[in-house]
Amino acid sequence: MKIYNVLVAFILAILVFGYFARACFAVSPTDAGGALRNAEENLALAYVYVAEAERAGANISELLARLVYAGGLLAEAKNSYGAGDYERAYSLAINCSSAVNNVASEASDLKLKAEEAYGERLLFTVGISSAGLSVLFVLSLFAWRFLRKWYVGRVLKMKPAVEGAT
Amino acid sequence: MNIEDFKLAYLLSCFCLALIILSPTLAMVIRLPSGEPFSEFWILGPGHMAEDYPFNVTAHEVYRVYLGVSNRMGGLEYYKVFVKFRNQTEPLPDSINGTPSILNPVFEYRVFLKDGEVWEKEFLFSFDNVSFEGNFCRISNIIVDGYVLNVDKAALWDEENKGFYFQVFFELWIYNATALDFQFHNRFVGLWLNMTVPI
Repeated sequence: MKIYNVLVAFILAILVFGYFARACFAVSPTDAGGALRNAEENLALAYVYVAEAERAGANISELLARLVYAGGLLAEAKNSYGAGDYERAYSLAINCSSAVNNVASEASDLKLKAEEAYGERLLFTVGISSAGLSVLFVLSLFAWRFLRKWYVGRVLKMKPAVEGAT
Repeated sequence: MNIEDFKLAYLLSCFCLALIILSPTLAMVIRLPSGEPFSEFWILGPGHMAEDYPFNVTAHEVYRVYLGVSNRMGGLEYYKVFVKFRNQTEPLPDSINGTPSILNPVFEYRVFLKDGEVWEKEFLFSFDNVSFEGNFCRISNIIVDGYVLNVDKAALWDEENKGFYFQVFFELWIYNATALDFQFHNRFVGLWLNMTVPI
């Protein structure tokens, strides 16, 4: 009988603990709303940096895949919030924020590297073009002297023709 | 041809050669104006064609359409697609003033697209808790992709078109990196639905 009472008390204690633990750890609409706002801001910030990196000519494939994934999570979080499932909304919003964690800094690094690469490429191209122009200038001077000589010689060899002469 | 003409022809050919040599540098430095940027937004029927759109609908029946967005803005864009639901008396977006509908979205998608990319999504929807009372029809829930969403809309019997008319419509929003916020992209598509009593 004593063991039976202890067992019943133990089961009751677990049930009561479960009820209060659930009440204590349940996610309120305010918490979920806050997590959604954070996720929204983090995702937007990540997008701004990735878009800048893309404009600088960086390869953003990997970062874009993370943005797409995070965007899907945020949309699901918002839809869960709309359907009244605040716990799921909260958890998805937190996952969204984690998914875009470091995306902005990685995009910044990529942008810097892309700009450096562009600068080097531009310098190289300008160098090649300048060398090409210099060669063209020198060659054209020599070519002009030769062509002028050829032209004058050709004119001098021409026989004078008088119009109307028989 | 006199010597002056010959000189001019020679100078012109040298100039053309110089342009050819400079062209790689010019291509890197000069940005030519691109065409007018725009986005495309569409809705297709269950067969991926602009036909057989759901029209006469009943409760608990699942309907399918396809939503599409195409980016021709010239760079990476961040879009948001809002799904909204209305009856005949509620407002649509104003395409002349470029303002969205004041109705709250019931569902949304987030889309990231590079220039020239296309996004397409199957949109499955059904209705739950639909009641008919006299010349009123009330829809309490719309179910989209498994989410049960509360809409609570009522429609009066339309004597002219013989039906209880509702509309599911989709608005396209785009993220403005300057304003750091989404703005209505002045594009929306919709689907008229006539709620009928199941036979």
